[in-house]
Amino acid sequence: MALKGKAVGVNVRKVDGLALAAGRPKFTLDMDVPGALIGKILRSPHAHAEIIGIDTSRAEAVPGVACILHHGNVERIPYTTAGQGWPEPSPYDNFLFDRKVRFVGDRVAAVAAETEAAAEEALRLIEVEYKVLPAVLSPEEALAEGAPVIHDEEDAEGIHDAQHNVAAAVDIPVGDIEKGFSESDVIVEATCEIPYSQHTALEPHCVIAYFDEDGRLVLRTSTQVPFHVRRIVARVVGLPLERIRVVKPRIGGGFGSKQEVILEPVAAALALRTGRPVRMALDRAEVFTSSRTRHPMRVRVKLGAKADGRLHAIEMEALSNTGAYGAHSLTVLSNTGSKTLPLYNKAPHLWFHGQAVYTNLPVAGAYRGYGATQGYFALEVAMDMLAERLGMDPVELRLKNHIRTGETSPIFEKIGEGREGKPQIVRSCALEECLRVGAEKIGWAEKRGEKRRKGRWAYGVGMACSMQGSGITGIDMAAATIMMNENGSFRLLVGATDIGTGSDTILAQLAAEILGVPVERISVYSSDTDFTPFDTGAYASSTTYVSGMAVVKAAQEVHEKILEVAAGMLEEPAQDLELSEGRVVSKATGKSVTLSEVGHRATYVVDQQHIIASASFVPPESPPPFAAFFCEVAVDTETGLVRVERFVAAADCGVPIHPRLAEGQLEGAVVQGIGHALTEELLFFPKGRCVNANLFDYKIPSALDVPDIEVVLVDSQEPTGPLGAKSIAEVGINGPLPAIANAIYDAVGVRLCRAPFTPARVLAALVERKER
Amino acid sequence: MRLQGIKRFHYARDVEEALSLLSAYAGRGALLAGGLDLARSPRSDLEGLIDITGLGLSYVREEGGGLRIGATTTLTELLESPAARRYLNGFLPEVLHRVAALPLRNQATLGGAVVSAHPWADIPTVLVALGAEARWTDESGEHKAPVEELWRKPFRKIFRQAVLTEIYLPPWDGGFAFERLTRSAYDVALLNCACGLGIEEGKIAWAQVALGATPHRGRRLAWLEEALVGKSPDEVLWAWVRDEVRGKAEVRTDRRASGDWRRAVAGTLVARTLAQAAEKAVTGDG
Repeated sequence: MALKGKAVGVNVRKVDGLALAAGRPKFTLDMDVPGALIGKILRSPHAHAEIIGIDTSRAEAVPGVACILHHGNVERIPYTTAGQGWPEPSPYDNFLFDRKVRFVGDRVAAVAAETEAAAEEALRLIEVEYKVLPAVLSPEEALAEGAPVIHDEEDAEGIHDAQHNVAAAVDIPVGDIEKGFSESDVIVEATCEIPYSQHTALEPHCVIAYFDEDGRLVLRTSTQVPFHVRRIVARVVGLPLERIRVVKPRIGGGFGSKQEVILEPVAAALALRTGRPVRMALDRAEVFTSSRTRHPMRVRVKLGAKADGRLHAIEMEALSNTGAYGAHSLTVLSNTGSKTLPLYNKAPHLWFHGQAVYTNLPVAGAYRGYGATQGYFALEVAMDMLAERLGMDPVELRLKNHIRTGETSPIFEKIGEGREGKPQIVRSCALEECLRVGAEKIGWAEKRGEKRRKGRWAYGVGMACSMQGSGITGIDMAAATIMMNENGSFRLLVGATDIGTGSDTILAQLAAEILGVPVERISVYSSDTDFTPFDTGAYASSTTYVSGMAVVKAAQEVHEKILEVAAGMLEEPAQDLELSEGRVVSKATGKSVTLSEVGHRATYVVDQQHIIASASFVPPESPPPFAAFFCEVAVDTETGLVRVERFVAAADCGVPIHPRLAEGQLEGAVVQGIGHALTEELLFFPKGRCVNANLFDYKIPSALDVPDIEVVLVDSQEPTGPLGAKSIAEVGINGPLPAIANAIYDAVGVRLCRAPFTPARVLAALVERKER
Repeated sequence: MRLQGIKRFHYARDVEEALSLLSAYAGRGALLAGGLDLARSPRSDLEGLIDITGLGLSYVREEGGGLRIGATTTLTELLESPAARRYLNGFLPEVLHRVAALPLRNQATLGGAVVSAHPWADIPTVLVALGAEARWTDESGEHKAPVEELWRKPFRKIFRQAVLTEIYLPPWDGGFAFERLTRSAYDVALLNCACGLGIEEGKIAWAQVALGATPHRGRRLAWLEEALVGKSPDEVLWAWVRDEVRGKAEVRTDRRASGDWRRAVAGTLVARTLAQAAEKAVTGDG
């Protein structure tokens, strides 16, 4: 049984809960900076064009316009918008403003003006002469012989093969794949495709750039990566790092879209040019077209198995569309294989290969699941097909093949973050129990293959499994500082970035557990590059595990220092003392001193010192969380409409530090996954303009669409994690797509391999099957 | 930013004042009731807003078995009114519960639904099937017309110089049903259908059938209504309806759904809605 401490494993009140519930002004744009200009961006109407000329004279004459920036008046510095650890594994193929535009919605110029109306008027009056170029609007077109070259600039860096529009490529063979298939008794193949989808965080990307009393640039911004923002902005605008401070207040959701440094360099450049504060926010249409999306991807999976169901060979091929720029192109592509293939580690022969290609469409980036979601769609549909061919229960097939505690996969070592990975053994895995619990809760044994009908509705059940990671091995780094106040309370400073997940609360719980105090005695201050220690940021399911370990280490050091001070007071050796419920107690005599007494003594009386410690943590491995997903769907056989009736997700995230927050992560991911499965898809006109860049036409699930979701946390004990914990943020989004596809197959016998499963696609598949 | 040109805001005390103000703005003024569509309006030329919620046009009254509904009555007010619950055994509340979301229903007015008459909207399809009549006043006096006829006219232009005052729903002796197909609960319809049937001695005595969001605004299928009269409301008939409507429905592709899919399911939707209406007509349930 997992640890259930005083502060850990308990649903404590969120440290920011009351302020958020009371609507206190805590978000980026809630702050009023007097005299701020409004920044707006002129966007390309063309999918692919050269800027021949740009005339801003009429726009500059608009009263209230303070500054207009474009490629002609800013320095040309290649960079990537991907907020990743340095050196970033994404190509440097972005410029603040370029001579070329590469998708409808690309940046052409930026205006800062006294009012929004003046800024918009100026945008209308900027005259741009374009030489329209042939556009590439699909990965197939991008790879075709003689295709237009999207990145023909000479100063871009790190592109795999710019002449052929290939941003990144991977080719990872393990064993002998041909031999593997030739030795297999059964072979199946599935090709599944995910379209453009957008994160639709409630709060759009926004930033305020202003100057402090010493003239340093402050960026108050809605970001997942404050320290990367500081580094990237410093590069782009040419300021020394120490002249920039990045502050992340409360965030209205990110899901990966804010792991991208999009608005900050523009706001910084406008502020520096004018010497004035600048406020900027994307509108919803811009969020859809000009922030970031999931990488649309076509993934082909070929499985070879022995007659007893043991996998013998797995080939996975991915064609990823990175859009106009290569943010996260290599790492998302790598993750498609690295976070999926180790799940079924019994196969000795593997081949993962693929390409991420440029197109003249919106830019893809990080999105919860980060490639694994795309990989699992094809892998888990193929597993369903394999089970059918073998005449084996799909749950049984997973049980036969999934990785177990103490086991490894060669993939861990072969694929890392844009380079080779590190060998790793799975030290905690409760997937077997997740499968058992999930199957029981959905009624798998009774419902699978039952083919229940009620009028026009056909019912079916489907399942899928997934794993993810917890941070990036050997690359992520987080630090934490804990200092004790003289009254025995503590301040916890972390660079970690709470983007609404509740990580500030979780980190406070970890500290509280070790320091033997209630969570209320810990004040958390996070994500301020001036005042908190470094942290790579909130991505790759890293915060609880990586930042959490930094907090645990710092708390242990503080704990030791407290005992040393108390040892002097109680006149006993520190090793004979223990910290509990706000007191240091002698194990031998039961005599005790309060933390307040310890604090006052250390601060004011004897051997004065501030009881304080900082610690850093770099994850030597990335323990996977596991999950099993089960769902029941109803298919309207006359219209093709699919309704998810019930969803059960059972997940192993090690020890859940705050069970309710963990459940919330799992539920939220499942709902996003249902959106991927049923409704979400960005559509484009023939010349590359987005058709449905609004929430009226692009449909995400609402509260009324959420089915009966049951989430179950199956505890395990991760020995490398903070008090046994590993991650939960992403693993939940990988299951719904294949589980729903497999349930539709169970209900009506058609395989849906192109998401979303719209009524039109489902009906067309039903008609095609009938005609066959 | 929208509606940036607004300079003045007026509370009209009566219809006459609202009309004078509209006239004074010469096309650059707009009436404000729920304001839902106005908030989304791309018109930058609007200078004056004229609030008409004080004109006494928020009411639901019974008249000879029919309903008179004031134009500024919100969907929530209509949905909750005892008179609407009695009309066709609660058909209107049943429909309105499925239209938009609660906060929007609190704001949206029935008059707004008629004046904007979005092609994808559910209310126009329902009003067409019910044979609703719109009543309005302009400088030349009072006017009325069945909504279907009104929407064939340049109605948006008419209402730049007129105040819609009332929507009248005639009495019916039979059952009405409504169905819609959407991608999500808050989605607008990909296709919607409202049907009414009167049944006498086991045969269909009259039929009202409207299909909307095709993506055109709801229209009656007169050929089908005629063909249904005298037939027995049974599975054989519904199967025939399914095939006929699939063959004849005027549908096309828009950003929400393809014409092919709309064609494939239009017959199913109409047949389903008719079957429900028949059940209600027989049981006296609507």
